Amino acid sequence: MSEVEVRDLTKAFGRVTAVRKMSFTAPAGKVTGFLGPNGSGKTTTLRIVLGLVRGDAGEALIGGVPYHRLARPRRSVGALLEATSFHPGRRASDHLRVLADAARIPARRIDEVLGQVDIAAAASRRVREFSLGMRQRLGLAAALLGDPQVLLLDEPANGLDPAGIAWLRGMLRGLADEGRTVVVASHVLSEIARTADHVVIVSAGQVRFAGPLAEIGASNTLESAFLKLTVTPGSARP
Amino acid sequence: MSPMIQSEFRKLRTIRGPWLLLAAGPLLVVAGITGLVQSGGNVHDPAVQRTALSHVALAALFTLIFGIFAVAGEYRHGTATDTFLSFPDRGRVVAAKLAVYGLVGAVTGLVSSGVALAVTAAWWAVNGGTFQLSAGDSWRTLGGGVAVNVAFAVIGVGVGALVRNLAAAIAAALAWIALIEGIAGQLLGAGLARWLPFYASEALGRADITGTTQLLPQWGAGLVLAGYAAAFAAAAAVTTLRRDVT
Repeated sequence: MSEVEVRDLTKAFGRVTAVRKMSFTAPAGKVTGFLGPNGSGKTTTLRIVLGLVRGDAGEALIGGVPYHRLARPRRSVGALLEATSFHPGRRASDHLRVLADAARIPARRIDEVLGQVDIAAAASRRVREFSLGMRQRLGLAAALLGDPQVLLLDEPANGLDPAGIAWLRGMLRGLADEGRTVVVASHVLSEIARTADHVVIVSAGQVRFAGPLAEIGASNTLESAFLKLTVTPGSARP
Repeated sequence: MSPMIQSEFRKLRTIRGPWLLLAAGPLLVVAGITGLVQSGGNVHDPAVQRTALSHVALAALFTLIFGIFAVAGEYRHGTATDTFLSFPDRGRVVAAKLAVYGLVGAVTGLVSSGVALAVTAAWWAVNGGTFQLSAGDSWRTLGGGVAVNVAFAVIGVGVGALVRNLAAAIAAALAWIALIEGIAGQLLGAGLARWLPFYASEALGRADITGTTQLLPQWGAGLVLAGYAAAFAAAAAVTTLRRDVT
């Protein structure tokens, strides 16, 4: 199986502890919503899972192995971390070609994923001409390029218009229904309530809740549960 | 070709910056040699011929910046994340960058050499001089110049990995060449200054920039510069393995 498992993960940047003994499992075949306020350690956790940041303690496994041990990482895991990770002067198709070269992915797959995210018409345009929503779609195309069993997406709806958000929801559901593990870090609770099967709510680097969305309830209750779980003592939040 | 090398070359080919930077070297050679002749360089003097050809070593300034862009540019645009997602073995990524950019540095040096030969021969012919390849150790000058281009590309990769902020890395490299090494050289005295990297590159490329006469022999300077390149390469590997990519 290709579940994502985080066990007792801890990471400090200088004196700030970004992630504190975090543990959760994102199961295969489900969309897992990864929720938490700004600075709660979501992005750091994703970066540790992807081997970009080294945890101080604990482990992060994908299908039972750490990212750097995966034989073909791009074909196992697709990641979308931020919408700005492109060279502005590079054409969209060339951006994907760099990644395809790296993972020995055939060039025809580039056209497939560009079609899948609906920017095939802009394939030969330079990324600097792209809107935020188009960059987001290109980032999703990059994540999908290796046809991976695991997708780790940080705020994938960022910059998408309402039609784009609906399209993304359908795509994520479809990917999970194919048996893939889909992890979506987000602030948009209403969207997670419509998409996710499973939620992990974190605050101040710690897990406050991890389990099926059904245990929390509908979207308004997800929001009230989120606010209750993530309130930090002494914070200014009402 | 390994996927890592192939991917590095693809990155180079698909943006314009590297081409502009690499074209700057030969252009500098043309302008420099032309300036030398226009300002009264004696085309009958073999030493002037050597000075003309030594512009190849000066063009290495651009392979240095090119090397810095290779790494710090990836951090600047966030594409370093994608590179390390494709290849979690960061030591090999650094090795591939050193190899690819060293090779491109060599090719740039060879192009600059060809341009230097052609432009020198042309100016010498125009002014009634006798351009002779055998005169003034032309091949040694050009060979040294190419070696400086390679070493500076490798050092650039190292600087870019150490100082991941692109603007800071370029500012630091230019400040070192334009100011710091000259001041350090005066503080150290000529006997020690000749071991510094830019003085060594001057000796290796047989250029006459600082006006000092106390340079290392060309082969010695080659070894010293190779040592600097190896040190920067090692430092690049160590820091890249250790640091988080955020």
